Amino acid sequence: MSDGLMNRREFIKRSLLSGAAAALVLSGLDRLEVAEAASLQVGTLIDLTQCDGCEYRKIPACVEACREANKRYFPNPRKEDLKPYWPQKNYEDWSAKQNITNRLTPYNWTFVQKVEVGHKGHKTTVYIPRRCMHCDNPPCAKLCPFSAQEKKPEGPVIIDPEICFGGAKCREVCPWHIPQRQAGVGPYLKFAPKFAGGGVMYKCTLCYDRILQGKLPACVEACPRQAISFGPKEEMRREAHSRAGAIGGYIYGEKENGGTSTFYVSAVPFEAIHRALVAAGQQPAMPVGVPNFLDTPNGIGQAVLLAPVAGLLAAGVAVYKGMKGGE
Amino acid sequence: MRFIHCSVAISTFLLIFSGLGQLPLYKRYMVDQLPGLSWASNFYVTLLIHYVAAAWLVFASIMHVVYHTLRKEFDLLPRRGDLKESWVVIKAMFGRGKEPPADKYLPEQRLAYAYMAFSFFLVIVTGFIKVLKNFPSITLPYPVWQWATNLHNVGTVLVILGILAHLVAFALKPNRPLILSMITGYVSEEYARHRHPLWYNRISKKAR
Repeated sequence: MSDGLMNRREFIKRSLLSGAAAALVLSGLDRLEVAEAASLQVGTLIDLTQCDGCEYRKIPACVEACREANKRYFPNPRKEDLKPYWPQKNYEDWSAKQNITNRLTPYNWTFVQKVEVGHKGHKTTVYIPRRCMHCDNPPCAKLCPFSAQEKKPEGPVIIDPEICFGGAKCREVCPWHIPQRQAGVGPYLKFAPKFAGGGVMYKCTLCYDRILQGKLPACVEACPRQAISFGPKEEMRREAHSRAGAIGGYIYGEKENGGTSTFYVSAVPFEAIHRALVAAGQQPAMPVGVPNFLDTPNGIGQAVLLAPVAGLLAAGVAVYKGMKGGE
Repeated sequence: MRFIHCSVAISTFLLIFSGLGQLPLYKRYMVDQLPGLSWASNFYVTLLIHYVAAAWLVFASIMHVVYHTLRKEFDLLPRRGDLKESWVVIKAMFGRGKEPPADKYLPEQRLAYAYMAFSFFLVIVTGFIKVLKNFPSITLPYPVWQWATNLHNVGTVLVILGILAHLVAFALKPNRPLILSMITGYVSEEYARHRHPLWYNRISKKAR
């Protein structure tokens, strides 16, 4: 036995103990479910059997109300700041198309889709208000390289326009590609605008500023047919089930992307709605059961968290082998 | 030792490549159009590579720390006076003055190790927080994960600069023999006697 090394018995005892302790601590992680305070989180129920797309109006009421309530947050780029994303030739500029209401843009945070859905031999026209679904484990917020998006304790997922660099990664990892980019605004202009950044991303905020004041989101308040309900998330979930049960209908948004706080209820299956949207070339579609981007990484994440234990044990084995060799 | 160095080098290279790939760089800068790299702009793929390489780096780092601690091998930790002495050694490497006799490691090697240890510690700890915040069952306060993100970015820059300095060191003639040592795991007796006399004398006394 060499100088300075503890005796074999002591070494084995200490290594096993520390390895076991570490494994215990790490295994407790899946029980680290901080009470989500689900009762504090808000949710929405969108009843597609009630939405008629406001066909008699120029712009659907919810869309108009949303634009009015949020216009002070809309981007205001200077013409000289609108430049291509070098070395690419393109850049995303909607500032000259602010009146568009039939799709999501930085100036239009909700819109209503209209699609003909075939089901059981019948054709039904379905109107679908679309916007951010404020997911439970939002990949947009979790994967932003600058943490520019936050899931607020109350549930809404909010982009901070003073941090967002407009990389549009959030749009890519969102299964519905909701966030929209406007070039020529945001902190990237102060850094190296030709080489890094693309603008700022915009989307529905669930009228966070209004709900903090105890008011309803603008779309909820404006709907003439009360197709959109708002309240505590679990209450909205229960109502969605109750409504779907009553009409023999279907729910969308409960399981998708790992769970969201927006529950759509429809009389026709969402698989049929999704097929119809895709056939009509409409976006976003409604892929049923779409998985969360983070599902697989989180599986490997457990290996990352256990790696220290493995390293500890491997070191122990290596030292033990060294001791046996009489170094 | 070679296993650890190899693991750290390869996993870090993969982490830097896949880490920078978490930013929307590779599509914009057409890295994904280079032959064999079409997956580079696929966030799903680069994130998986990043996680796997991270597990490997953490495994190797912990193994390194625990192994040497258990064997009480602390020669690479910085000592008082290292900053001053490093300057003397660096001047000598450029031909100005003579290198003072060194122990197992040169003083600037000890300082460089401290810098790398700190930088890796930063990216690893903040990386852990970033992994944790992605689990649906864990709710971390937003300021915590924001700090973790920003410090992770800072740590990345520190690691990259450190690696560049580490590689540039081999441009200096006195350090060239160490390129072979990286592969064999040994230095020649001549090298040890000439450059690390304090260590050489200590271990040759022991051998007798």
